[in-house]
Amino acid sequence: MRASVLTQPVLSQQLLLSVAEELKVPLLQIARQAELAGLQANGAVSLQQIQTTADMALRLIDSYVLGARLALEDQYLFEMEPVSVSSVLYDAGQQLEAMAKLYGVELELNVSGKYGPVMAHRSGLQAALVSLGHALIEAMPAIGDAKHRPRLSLSAYRSRYGIVTGVYSEVEQLTTEALRQGKKINGQARQPLATLTHTAGAGIFVADTILQAMNSELTVSRHHKLYGLAAILKPNPQLQLI
Amino acid sequence: MRILLIEPDKLLAQTYDQTLRQAGHTLSTVATAQRAIFAADEQKPDLVLLELQLVSHSGIEFLYEFRSYPDWQSIPVIILSHVPPGEFADSWDLLKQELGVVAYRYKPRTSLQALLRVVNEFATIAS
Repeated sequence: MRASVLTQPVLSQQLLLSVAEELKVPLLQIARQAELAGLQANGAVSLQQIQTTADMALRLIDSYVLGARLALEDQYLFEMEPVSVSSVLYDAGQQLEAMAKLYGVELELNVSGKYGPVMAHRSGLQAALVSLGHALIEAMPAIGDAKHRPRLSLSAYRSRYGIVTGVYSEVEQLTTEALRQGKKINGQARQPLATLTHTAGAGIFVADTILQAMNSELTVSRHHKLYGLAAILKPNPQLQLI
Repeated sequence: MRILLIEPDKLLAQTYDQTLRQAGHTLSTVATAQRAIFAADEQKPDLVLLELQLVSHSGIEFLYEFRSYPDWQSIPVIILSHVPPGEFADSWDLLKQELGVVAYRYKPRTSLQALLRVVNEFATIAS
């Protein structure tokens, strides 16, 4: 899987273009929030809101850089290790909490199943989940039911293919075909995932790039009555025996 | 002035909404084209502020639908979008003459004060 990334040098340019487009949104939010703060005598705009927006932009850049370096097989960075999915989901949830609050999205963690560690790059997996969560939190107010508070669940469950780890909601996010088409036209279309998000959807493509570097990829998933985007991770065979 | 704001990003929507309300306008803010049609029916706006990049149905699709109702054919529409106006250079006549777009503002280059200026111009004309 990593070899295919390397044989497509244009991929990183498309991803960079998508990230650059995506970054316009938080930068615009910061610029206008700061302007509004300047216009208001009572200082109703919260500095916390501006900080959270800036943090979101920084995380996206950080994840992009990590994904690009993993795809380039930086040996120093790329060390697969047994990783506890629950702990990665918990940390990703912590990183997404402030953004979810800002967008009025309820975030929950669901790691109730029993499964051992998976083989992954810990920082990479966390960055992929945060990027994915970021994109879905941003998208939820427009795709969800306007009358109810949207809810996102960071979940993991065991399937016959491996441990499925991702972000789920009650609303269908993407079909398999829409995700496939989106990956194909990423960097060429302004909204490659037009049924999900009004932006370039960079968080989703960054997550996919990082996961591909870990011999996985982003897939459409359905679990119980929830729809999600997730990665299938291989359990650590040695630790399974213990 | 009653303004229908169609803005998919929640944070930007809040910022624009707050700014325009403080300037004395009445706002109805929605995130999608479908919700905008319902909101227009309820609010009877004097002006529409529209982002072109929406989820599912684009801003252009919304405009065609919106203009198909006789009551809404003369309501001015200002585009406030992430899409650079250069991308619409060839279609400007269509936007202006057939879809009733009265102004096009590129979001990254439009401050809140610049937005207020253009909205207030139309408020003055309307009154």
